Amino acid sequence: MGRLNPAEQAKIILRSRISSPSFVFSFFSQSPDSNYSKLKYIISSSVTEACNNSVLLLGPRGCGKVAVLEIVLEELLKEHPDMISVIRLNGLLHCDNNCALKEIARQLCLEHHLMFSKMASYDDNSQFLLSMLRECGLAHKTIVFVLDEFDLFTQGKQRLLYSLLDAMQSITSQAVVVGVSCRLDADQLLEKRVRSRFSHRKLLFLPPSREDCQRLVEHILLLPTDSSLPNDYTAAFNAKLLNILADEKFKGIIDTLCYSDSSVGHLLRFLFSAICHMDMNSGFLSVKNFKSALRSMQRQPKLEALKDCSVLELYILVCMKRLEVKELELCNFNSIMKEYKSIHDTFQTSDYYARNVCLRAFEHLLERALISFEDNKGHGQSAEFRPVKLVISWHELHQGLKSHRSCPAILHKLMDREG
Amino acid sequence: MGKEESPQISRRTTRLSSCSTPSLKAPVEASKATNKLQSSSVDDLVFHGECISLDELINSFPGRQTKILELINLLGPLDSPLVPTFLYGGASTGKTSIILQMFKHLTRPFIYSSCITCYNPRILFESILNQLLLHRKNESNGYLSAKRCEKPSDFVNLLREALSTLVDSLKGNPGKLSSKKSSSQVNGRMVYLIFDNLEVVREWDKSFSILPLLFNLYDILKMPELGLIFISRTSLDTFQSDTGYVEPFPVYFPDYTEDDLRLIFMKNQANPKLYSSFLDLVLRPFCRITRRIDELSTAFLPLFKKYCEPLGDLGAVPNEDMKRKLFSHLQPFISLSLNETSSVSFQPLLKPSANKDRTLRKNTTKKLGAFETLDEIDFHMSTSAKYLLISAFLASRNPATLDASLFDSTGGSDNRKRKRKGSERSMEQKETKEQELLMKGPGTFPLERLLAIFQCITSVAEYLHDDEEPQNAGLEAEGSASGLMSDILLQLSSLCSANFITKGGSCPLEGSTRYRSTISEDMALKIARSLKFPLSKYLYRR
Repeated sequence: MGRLNPAEQAKIILRSRISSPSFVFSFFSQSPDSNYSKLKYIISSSVTEACNNSVLLLGPRGCGKVAVLEIVLEELLKEHPDMISVIRLNGLLHCDNNCALKEIARQLCLEHHLMFSKMASYDDNSQFLLSMLRECGLAHKTIVFVLDEFDLFTQGKQRLLYSLLDAMQSITSQAVVVGVSCRLDADQLLEKRVRSRFSHRKLLFLPPSREDCQRLVEHILLLPTDSSLPNDYTAAFNAKLLNILADEKFKGIIDTLCYSDSSVGHLLRFLFSAICHMDMNSGFLSVKNFKSALRSMQRQPKLEALKDCSVLELYILVCMKRLEVKELELCNFNSIMKEYKSIHDTFQTSDYYARNVCLRAFEHLLERALISFEDNKGHGQSAEFRPVKLVISWHELHQGLKSHRSCPAILHKLMDREG
Repeated sequence: MGKEESPQISRRTTRLSSCSTPSLKAPVEASKATNKLQSSSVDDLVFHGECISLDELINSFPGRQTKILELINLLGPLDSPLVPTFLYGGASTGKTSIILQMFKHLTRPFIYSSCITCYNPRILFESILNQLLLHRKNESNGYLSAKRCEKPSDFVNLLREALSTLVDSLKGNPGKLSSKKSSSQVNGRMVYLIFDNLEVVREWDKSFSILPLLFNLYDILKMPELGLIFISRTSLDTFQSDTGYVEPFPVYFPDYTEDDLRLIFMKNQANPKLYSSFLDLVLRPFCRITRRIDELSTAFLPLFKKYCEPLGDLGAVPNEDMKRKLFSHLQPFISLSLNETSSVSFQPLLKPSANKDRTLRKNTTKKLGAFETLDEIDFHMSTSAKYLLISAFLASRNPATLDASLFDSTGGSDNRKRKRKGSERSMEQKETKEQELLMKGPGTFPLERLLAIFQCITSVAEYLHDDEEPQNAGLEAEGSASGLMSDILLQLSSLCSANFITKGGSCPLEGSTRYRSTISEDMALKIARSLKFPLSKYLYRR
């Protein structure tokens, strides 16, 4: 890898940092009253004191619930080797009880070097789980169940949750159940019999504050001094970066970014994009990179789609808007065509096309998701008769027409009249 | 590569195969049978043949330079991780072909699966695993997949297994491979998964669980060696889910502008000057309707033939005078084809209009006259099926209460009276009725009503045919006399499967299945004309 130039190497280092959550969130493990230390205390106490525990990690997506948990588990596995076995389940994959138990059995077998039978029934697997819990409890080994997307496990009869939490009521077992969910009301979804067995310990993960964001950016982007990169390059890169971070313009960019979504995940995608924009000739980041990254993060898909529309498609949209203003309760392709014809009759436009051409433009609009069918019923009906609705606001349409390259003046006039 | 550029090549060859050059497709597919065991190596995951340079890549996609550079930057240097990426943009904007060609340029291993060909989760999962495990379906394995995999949980386990072995083997031979051809070496140890046409997944039965799974796959697997690329026609905000998903990084492909389109159409033209003067005429008006290359190229192909018709020598460079002549020759056809959607019905139009050329030139004002020739229906149908279709149309349009008076023994002679009665109604009421008809579309009807109408009109037709051509009456009489033969029901079911008539849900009161005719009035009139059936006499006008 020696032939790579330092800028490229720096790029690879930064990219791998961003895609490694354990690096990013190790930043949060420094402060004493962070979720990290709380979680570590809960799990380690149940390992050392041989007790059962359960905890929910709640918070919006991209705030590092799983990442912090993984850091904690990794450290505990190092501190107490052969004392902990981790079973990981995901609500997206294992929300079906049968499948979840099978997966638990599979992972337990893998961990303890036992033969796993694919043919084992639900009953066999749950018996196996109970006996494993007892055995591990006797050997003072802790089993940690990680249930990602916890809210999806609460669908249906919650038999898995019940059997797990119920098994933890006995003194022989030694286990921790960690639920991870982005629904803040996840514990309210539990049935009564499950809820009474749950410890009601919840850890809330919030997006970082503005100052934390700033420091996190620093933590990620400053190049390490002890890497294979040439020292003078690293020094120059870091000096330049600190300069940028102190810049008011940069702070403004971070503020606008956090205005819409201040989660760490969002910030990481932004930084990733900024690194992609890095100029390879100079090899340094600049404010311009961050600016263009911000632009690529702030997408307005409806306006983009409007810009792509052809003139005929714009006509149809304006017709629909007019019908909406007239307060017709339903509109479909036929009523749009009637409106289209009346516009043509009054203004003698040059863009009057045959019905089947309009129908195809109508289908394009459906494909672009600028309009949509009112309901999912009536698949037997042909598209012309199914009621449709606009999914863009008057304001968006107005703005879209304005920014459109070749929008005819008559459409502007019609829209202004409506407004 | 010119798949989207040159209008001559049909667009929908399999997308992946159309991207590898034809000479290279042969070793991949044909020779597989002979040396399938030796040749399945990691090499299969990259494009074979000489790698194309960045300049070639940019040149083959006019108007896409910034996008290509942006994507190259996103994919980054060798062995650098990638955040999940989401490419979106309208149809035929070059999303798939650019990303595939880019992998040809980079020669990095990738796995491509389109959600259109892999139309359910199981097939999607198995296709990905097959490619990862370098498994090819053939006779010796009974065209089975490498792994049977239906559940997402199995898929993730198998995928993790397969990916880690693949990544290990990629690490084993870094950079320079012991392969004979220097061209087919695999670059880097990242494996990229490309999911094309993601928007169709929204229509799948289990879309509510599959979509979050795909979007969260990167976080579930936690493998930095995996790069995920999603391609979709619609933007991220149309992918809704209950508790959301980890949003991938969006990259937008805008539609081509008019200038881009010109550059694209000018590619690979035999006589660029001639084609350019042709584009001057057609591009602007067509761009007002659509800017999709696939649609434009099908429309331009016959038009250009038409344009060249007066020319003796196709290689000639047209001068101003010539251009003017060609323009006046083409002009009537432009507005004609502007109002046409499919090229299929346009091509038969060309032949008769070529015969009518002289008449057309005389009275260009009567351009639409050429449409008259399209009057006959362009497919074959048995006579009884036609009658069935007409009766379905009538049953859908006419109110059921009027059946008795329309189809009495006099054969709808009091229709005129009925009409007058209708026109006596106040205008306002009429308008609301009309509005209702526009909204509701054709009505539904039970099977009994359809058969009754069918019997009525065939008996009338028999009566009519008796007058005109008695020799045909036998056939019709047979149809009506032994009326409810299983034949008719069979015809009905085949009309249903051809989507001329749709089967709706059953009526809650009667419990019988209800039908609905979907054909347009024009179509019904055409069919009636081909039978010499007086359809308008039976049609109730509000």
